[in-house]
Amino acid sequence: MEEKRLEDLLRVIELCRSVETSSANPFDVDIKEKILLLRSRLPEWRFLDELLVDSEALLELTQIVKLQDEWLKHRASSLYIDPLLIQLKVKLLPKEALTEAFVKSWHPVAQVDQISPKGLEKAFVYWRDLSPMAERFKDEFGSYGVKPGLVDYQELVSLGVFTQTQFETGLKDLHNELMERSNGEWIDYMEFITSTDFETRVLRAYLLAFLISEGRASLKTEPLTGKIWVTALSTKAKGPTKSVAISILGGN
Amino acid sequence: MESTDRALLERKVRKAFQVLILQRGRNPGVKGWEMKRYLGRDYRKIVEVLSEDVSGLGLEVFEVKGADGTDDSSRFLLRFKEPPTVSEAETSGIRIDDLAVLAATIAFVNSKQGRAARREVEQFLREKFPKWRVEYSLDRYVKRGYLEQDERTMLHAGWRTHAEVDEKTLMTLILSRGQEPAKK
Repeated sequence: MEEKRLEDLLRVIELCRSVETSSANPFDVDIKEKILLLRSRLPEWRFLDELLVDSEALLELTQIVKLQDEWLKHRASSLYIDPLLIQLKVKLLPKEALTEAFVKSWHPVAQVDQISPKGLEKAFVYWRDLSPMAERFKDEFGSYGVKPGLVDYQELVSLGVFTQTQFETGLKDLHNELMERSNGEWIDYMEFITSTDFETRVLRAYLLAFLISEGRASLKTEPLTGKIWVTALSTKAKGPTKSVAISILGGN
Repeated sequence: MESTDRALLERKVRKAFQVLILQRGRNPGVKGWEMKRYLGRDYRKIVEVLSEDVSGLGLEVFEVKGADGTDDSSRFLLRFKEPPTVSEAETSGIRIDDLAVLAATIAFVNSKQGRAARREVEQFLREKFPKWRVEYSLDRYVKRGYLEQDERTMLHAGWRTHAEVDEKTLMTLILSRGQEPAKK
């Protein structure tokens, strides 16, 4: 019941917004009726959220009143012409006629956009003293670093993250584990790589990516559920490959 | 008028001309409060004299009322007294297509009580102009102040349209034109 009452206010807000964002007639909104609705509901609101929705509805109604004011002023002005007539005219007239109508009612602004000798001198001094781009932000941000990129296996070995032996043993162990756990079936990728600490999880994902790239494991995704499945292959897979990006998040 | 008063007036008129002709900020024109600061309380009289003086050159001082309607918020500009010819407009580097887009947009917005959703305007203009030109021209005219786009992407006539375009004349001219075969 409470939801229904709140729904009424939300409907008022939605109606007002739809009028504000289109050229619909603002008088289509019955302000009096909506205000009475807000007033009748007001004593029922107990929570801050409800009162905020109520004030938002009132604010939207004031916007509609403002639009009604503008609408009336425009309609009363000499610029008011039946919209359909003017739209039809614009559609029928060639571009040249529209341009001519515009030019005949156009009074361009006359102005001089120029720099004074003093300004020119200031600009010259600024340019002369301006240090090159490479130097300018060095003090503030330091020198430019290397752009983010991919770290390949050779780089990891050179960084000491892996040794050749460790890496190959790790791959073999992981393949055996996957073979054992999947047993010819598809198993959940996230469950497989899961570990108590984040580093190990990333390491397992990295090694598994290698196995998949080498065709010793296969991966499939379900677009609707977002689930990722993985299985071990006893023989190297052949055929077309597809690249898949998987995010591994920190925390549990 | 005494010669000292005349000299003072002439100096103020000259100052007013310099203030109005040189663009100071991003937009041309000078606000009422700035005019008061440069020329004193009686700046409106000075503006009147200047307007008469420059009429011989085909110019006039025009006042665009600000949103709150106060003197301080008004914007004063020097503008052409008479509209240029189409060929003069063309020689200033403006494309006919661009002006036609602006004319159609102002007419459409005015026909919708002074405000129209941008998507409606685009849809309307696309019947006559290619999509890329519609989007490009609308963005350009918003930037140049001919159109105003609010946070709800509703389009209004901008301050520059109010300053440069006699909207009533434009609407009348569009309505009074007979149907002509469109040139390809």
